[in-house]
Amino acid sequence: MIIGLAYDILRTEEKLLIDAAKRLGHSVKPIFVPKRIEWLNNTYNEEFRELGFVLERCVSHYRALSSAVILEGRGVPVVNPYRVIRDCGDKLVTTTILASKGIPVPKTVVVYNRDKAIEAARELGYPVVVKPILGSWGRFIARATNEDDLLDILDFRESMNSPHFKIHYIQQYIEKPDRDIRAFYVWGRVPVAIYRYSKRWKTNTALGGKAVKADLSEEQIELVIKSAEAVGGGVLGVDLMETKNGENLVGELNAVIEFRNTVQVTGYDLAGDVVKSTVEVFKK
Amino acid sequence: MQIENRSGEPVVPKLKCPVCEGSVDIPDDALEGELFEHQECGAQLELVIENGQLVLKLAEEVAEDWGE
Repeated sequence: MIIGLAYDILRTEEKLLIDAAKRLGHSVKPIFVPKRIEWLNNTYNEEFRELGFVLERCVSHYRALSSAVILEGRGVPVVNPYRVIRDCGDKLVTTTILASKGIPVPKTVVVYNRDKAIEAARELGYPVVVKPILGSWGRFIARATNEDDLLDILDFRESMNSPHFKIHYIQQYIEKPDRDIRAFYVWGRVPVAIYRYSKRWKTNTALGGKAVKADLSEEQIELVIKSAEAVGGGVLGVDLMETKNGENLVGELNAVIEFRNTVQVTGYDLAGDVVKSTVEVFKK
Repeated sequence: MQIENRSGEPVVPKLKCPVCEGSVDIPDDALEGELFEHQECGAQLELVIENGQLVLKLAEEVAEDWGE
């Protein structure tokens, strides 16, 4: 099969996927998104006719969204599809979808101004965590332990130009056991997961969180599958938080997965699994 | 973009660092968009194709919408 790989920066993950595809006997057509000229009225494109599917790998969320929808518009299956990338890329949308399906998520409130933020935080109880609805690698996520902290955070947010900073997504702070879980969902299975340990309350590996292989309970695996399927499945990263009273909550979902640390600490060939399983799905 | 010599064997091209003008070795299977750190000056460089030629430019800075 010829597999398309839409990308903007060629990272370790993209190289692992290309190597895996070649190793499994497929060929790869790299689609370097930043250099493309896309005519939206051209809905048929000879260039993509031979592709079995495209792996969407742009590191930029908006490039991933736009290239996915354009490719889909030309009849090429994209993993993950535009809709899944959109729903996972906005925390407000993700939490709303998960909560509507009865999936346990941290108590979360959305408000549109500082007065209502103060009011909602009092009801939620401090500490609270304020997150940008669009954001990644833990950036601009802040914890307020009291009202003064929250006012500082709101001042900062309201001085930002991007309109999404005026939408305040405030979440209860979850006391975690120095770690959270990143599980990988691949077409109905959870083949591998890691704990991300950190002495900081933010556990993102992009911020120095240490990855260690995790063995999930049946209940956690079920929760990962249910969460991924709530947004339409495919190939996803699902973050779980374990509370002190033994409950598992779903933090966020990621539609363009980063997995180099997982491969490094588990030895699991996740790139090979993604390629092999996706080929099975789109085999004609 | 693979570069080959006259016998059809891949060769490792050397490109010029746009920051310090030093020489940078590029693997023969490198693709457009691939990042390289120039060991001599520490610059983060991105491989691009301009007018059919492989060149290095300073890598794009991390943007607000990058990452998972």
